[in-house]
This record gives sequence, C-alpha cells and structure tokens, in this order.
Amino acid sequence: MSETVFMKGNEAMAEAVIRAGCRFYFGYPITPQNEVPAYMARRLPETGGTFIQAESELAAINMVFGAAVAGARAMTSSSSPGISLKQEGISYLAACELPSVIANVMRGGPGLGNISPSQSDYWQSTRGGGHGDYRTIVLAPHTVTEMVELTMDAFDLADLYRNPVLVLSDGLLGQMMEKVIFPDPEARKKDGLLRGRPLPPKDWALTGAQGRAPRFIRSLIMKQGALEEHNFKLAEKYARIEVEEPLAESLACENADIMLIGFGTSARVAKQAQLMLAEHGIKAGLFRPITLWPFPSEQLATLARKVDRFLVIEMNTGQMIEDVKLVIARERSLKEVRVELLPRPGGGVPFPEEIVARAREVLK
Amino acid sequence: MLNLKQLASKEKVGLAGGHRACAGCGFPQIISMIFGQSPAPVVSGCSTGCMEIATTIYPFTAWRGNFMHSAFENSAATISGIETAYRALKKQGRLPADENLNFVALGGDGGTYDIGFQALSGAMERGHNMLYVCYNNEAYMNTGVQRSSATPQGGHTTTSPAGKVIPGKTQYPKDLTGIMAAHSIPYVAQGSVGYHIDLMRKADKAFSIEGPKFMNVYTPCRLGWGSDPAKTMEIARLAVDTCMWPLYEVVDGQWKLTRKVREKKGITEFYKTQNRFRHLLKPENDEFVKEIQAEVDRRWHVLLSKCGEGA
Repeated sequence: MSETVFMKGNEAMAEAVIRAGCRFYFGYPITPQNEVPAYMARRLPETGGTFIQAESELAAINMVFGAAVAGARAMTSSSSPGISLKQEGISYLAACELPSVIANVMRGGPGLGNISPSQSDYWQSTRGGGHGDYRTIVLAPHTVTEMVELTMDAFDLADLYRNPVLVLSDGLLGQMMEKVIFPDPEARKKDGLLRGRPLPPKDWALTGAQGRAPRFIRSLIMKQGALEEHNFKLAEKYARIEVEEPLAESLACENADIMLIGFGTSARVAKQAQLMLAEHGIKAGLFRPITLWPFPSEQLATLARKVDRFLVIEMNTGQMIEDVKLVIARERSLKEVRVELLPRPGGGVPFPEEIVARAREVLK
Repeated sequence: MLNLKQLASKEKVGLAGGHRACAGCGFPQIISMIFGQSPAPVVSGCSTGCMEIATTIYPFTAWRGNFMHSAFENSAATISGIETAYRALKKQGRLPADENLNFVALGGDGGTYDIGFQALSGAMERGHNMLYVCYNNEAYMNTGVQRSSATPQGGHTTTSPAGKVIPGKTQYPKDLTGIMAAHSIPYVAQGSVGYHIDLMRKADKAFSIEGPKFMNVYTPCRLGWGSDPAKTMEIARLAVDTCMWPLYEVVDGQWKLTRKVREKKGITEFYKTQNRFRHLLKPENDEFVKEIQAEVDRRWHVLLSKCGEGA
C-alpha cells in the first residue's frame, strides 16, 4: 500500500531507509542533514534496528563497511564536508564491492562553506570521490517523494551490483516539507530502478564459515598483476551499469527552441521556468538526469540532434556541463550549437525568472 | 592572577561585544576569563561549533586577537602548525627573539572528546607550547543537540532520545580530563564557568607553564539543556557541588583537588534544573538514577584518592 503524508525531506528519506529494509544506520551530526540521525535514533530501535552515532564521519562510514561485509543493508548520511571525510571508506567499499547507501544532503563548499543548498559535489560524486579507480552509482532526486523512491531503489541497486550508491540531494530538499507518497516497497521493486530484476543472493558475505569454505573480501591486492585484474573486473561492472542504468526525465525536448538541463533542485526550478517560457511563446525543453553516474548520455545525445540551444543550470560554477558538452559534441559541432551555463555556486538557488532571462539571452 | 575588576579594565582581550552567543551561554565568559590571564598576546583557533559560528558571522568578527577557524576535527592540529611556524621564524631571526605569544586552541566537547581527539592527543604528545581549552556543554549544540561522548548518562539529546524503551543516553561520559592527564603533560585542569576565581587561577597557571596544557571547562547550554538562562552560573556550580564535575588540576603528574565539596548534594538536585533530565525524576527511573549516583560516587572517590584526600 502506498501512503501519502506531509513530511520533511530528511525525515522522509530516513523513513524510506527503514521501509527499504535497512536496519543499520550510522551517523554523525552535520547541518543540514541532522534530522536523519535524529529520526533514526528514535525510529530504528522501534523496528529492532540499530542506530549508532559515531565519533566521526570516518568511524560512521567504516561501521557501514562492517555491517555491509556481514551482508546487512547499511547506510550513512552526511553533508558535503562530512562526505569528504567519508571518501576513504567509500573507496574501500567500492574496492571490496560492498553494497551500501550513502546520502549526501549537499551544502555550499569548498571548505566549511555554508549550510545553504548546493550542488557542488557533482564531480566528487560522479568521479569516484576517493582514491583509486572506481565509480559509485549516483541518484539525484528533485522532490521529497523522489527522495523516498530513489533511496529505496538505492538499496536495490547496491545489492544488485555490489556497489556503493549515493543519494545526492541538497539542503533545500532535505529541509523542505511537502506532500510525500511512500510507495509500497514490494511494488517499488517492480516500478523502480530495479525493474523487477531478482536480487542476487549475498553468497559473498562474511557470516561465519560453519560447514562451508571460508570467504575472502579484501582491498589489499598485492600479488603481481592481481590488482590490475581486479580493476578490470570492476571496470567491466561499471561498463554494464553504464548500459543498464542511465535514467533521465525529459519534458518537451523534441524540436525545442532551447533545452534546459539540470538535476535535483536546479531542475525543479527549471520546470517552473519552462512553463514561464511557454507564456513568452518559447518552446523550452527540460532534460533532467536522475542518475548522475551513469550519466544518461544516450538519451541526451538523441534529443540533442534537433536542438541548437542548451542552458545548463547548476548550483555550482559548472560541473555537469562538462558531461553535457561531451555528449553533445558526439552529435553536433560545438561551433554550431550553443551550450551555456547558469551557475549559482556557494549556496545560491536560481529563481525561475533568472532562468527565463538567461534562456532568452541564449536564444538571441 | 588578574581579578574580575582588573580583567574588565584590560583592553583588547578575548571577545568584543556584539557576538551572537545566546543569553545565558557560558563560553564568552570562559574566553574572557582565560584569555584575560595571558600576559602576552594570544593567537587562538577554534574548531567548528557554536563558539566559532556566534563569534565570526561573516563579515564580522568578535575576536580581538588573531583568530583562526578550522574544520571540526583539527583545531589542535591547526594551532600546532601556527605554533611551530612561530618557533621556526623566531629561530631564524625573522621574528624578534624577545617577543612572546601564547597559543590557544579551542573546541566544544564534540570537537574535542570525539572527532578532534586524535589531533588533540597528537598535539599534546608532540609537546607544542599551547593551551587547549575544551568548553564542555555535554552535547553537539551547534548542530541541534546530538549526544557526544561527554553527554552524561541519562541525558536526553536528539540522538539519545528519552522514551519508553531508552531513558536517554545509556553510556557514561568519557573521562577526557583523566585521559589528558595520562598524556603526562605539564598541566591539566578541570574548571567550571560557575567558579570563576578557580577558573582564572587555572588559566593564570597554564599560561605560566611552558609546553602543552589542557583545560576542560564546564558550561551549561540553555538551549540544549533546557535550563533557565539566568541560572547558568548557578547550574555550573551545582555540577561541582554534586560532584558530577569536580574541580581539580594535575601539575606535573600531581593531582590536586581545587574545590573541596563539604556537603555533597545528590545528582537529582542538578537534574531538577534542566529539562534534559526531566524523565529521570519520574519514579520508573529511580533505579537508573541510583546507578548513575553510584557511578558519580565511584568516580568521586577515585579522584579523592588520586588527590590524596580522605574519602
């Protein structure tokens, strides 16, 4: 049964974690995600789960490692500076192929930055983030309901691919209250990103080798050539994910005068701008990557064939635009089309009017 | 030691007026009382927390001396670097040899007991000439009251919520002052904002000693504790009078009680002043409170014997 409630983004996400069957949450305070650990501290004991407040982000991510290696669904959340501290652990999780979910409620950076919503961790999230040759699946919701859905999906994708999955929201989505629809978790396994695929048994988990051969999970791979082999194996998995999982929402992009491109909160604002542009008689399309990695390249490439003007809206100084340009350059000469940026770094959130004005400029 | 009157007339020390700490917050007094005792200018740094937020809202600063804000986990490391650079520049003759500066690293209990502990331990072990001051209000207040390893047993926070199943935080607080004493550094002290003469004496002593020093200073947080802001000092003294926060110092390994508690009050006297302990006053938590009282007593007696005092 689905359920409709009025709820704050961070709390709704926390509830989604519990409904997705995760019983191990490890957190540490940082604004603007504090509602997640507070909710978990209250709710998890009621469900027989375990909440631990760690002594640092490093400890929290390694607690996730510990629970994941034992085969449990495990999760942590933080905000940008805290996610930076978790990068070592995320690299180890990726190396050991441990399913895990990490929520980043982004705030302004670099450094301590501020506590306003931001999207400046796009590069960090989509390029691996920590050391070594790895990728994490990155899901970017633009409503609280989608935050719930993608969080549930994140656990499924993590289990399916034995890989860390990031849910990338921001301070605006985390702190806002709106109508939230909680899907039935079983129904979500069919309707969501899992698309009904069966989850593999966790026949790698370290559960105590009673009557079976011992299992090994390691990220220190010293034998000559063995790490190279391991990294190629990981790369094959990433290539498979790049084929299977890219997802985007596109609205009226066919033969549009201009295509607005953004993810998360930026896309949410751009949707309003799209309607306002229509009032000016401008046919604006909207392209919203839902998976930031894998980037929905094929979808964008197909749509880009018939559009000449692109406006990328990002709450940073321009990060996703690099991926956008790479894709468009496959189909078109960047000399004949215009790919422009509306950047709002450091905690700025664009107004729809700003997007409209910039779009009209780009169309001149 | 400068008394309060002399301190008030000392110019350009600690914080300027206009900082945005809450009414009833203890840290501005802690800064004034400690920094005021320094005979030399103070270079300070603070990890992320209320103190840093309330005193440095861009583009303003309330700090009268040089102040460096670091991340959450590293104020001790940042001050280590500054102190090292200062020593090196002096050695190279690029700074006057007869000049003196004092270096103070500050952090709340989250940034000191938990995430900043590694940097603190490292700085003390290396022996930098610095004073580390922890202002301990027993939880992460800046992020909205989460439990820390300084939170007392039974304390309600947003991540140790008191309810039907769990009566607040289930673990005892970490004895950080004892751990710092175990670093065998020249000076370690535990103070309270409520006993200001004791606190200022300790600061005066700390600044007179060369090498690494550590002070753990207790201060109520009216928001996190749910206490009356007008009673901050009273509550800070009550913590001492109930032996929940004894005042002592460890000079070169010698433990000394700096405030004797002649008529020890029960911990429920302390609980009554704060909403975070409200649930502990209910009859169903009587046994739990007895356990906590027993642990407070045990720690008190251990301290008395370390200080060579009769129990």
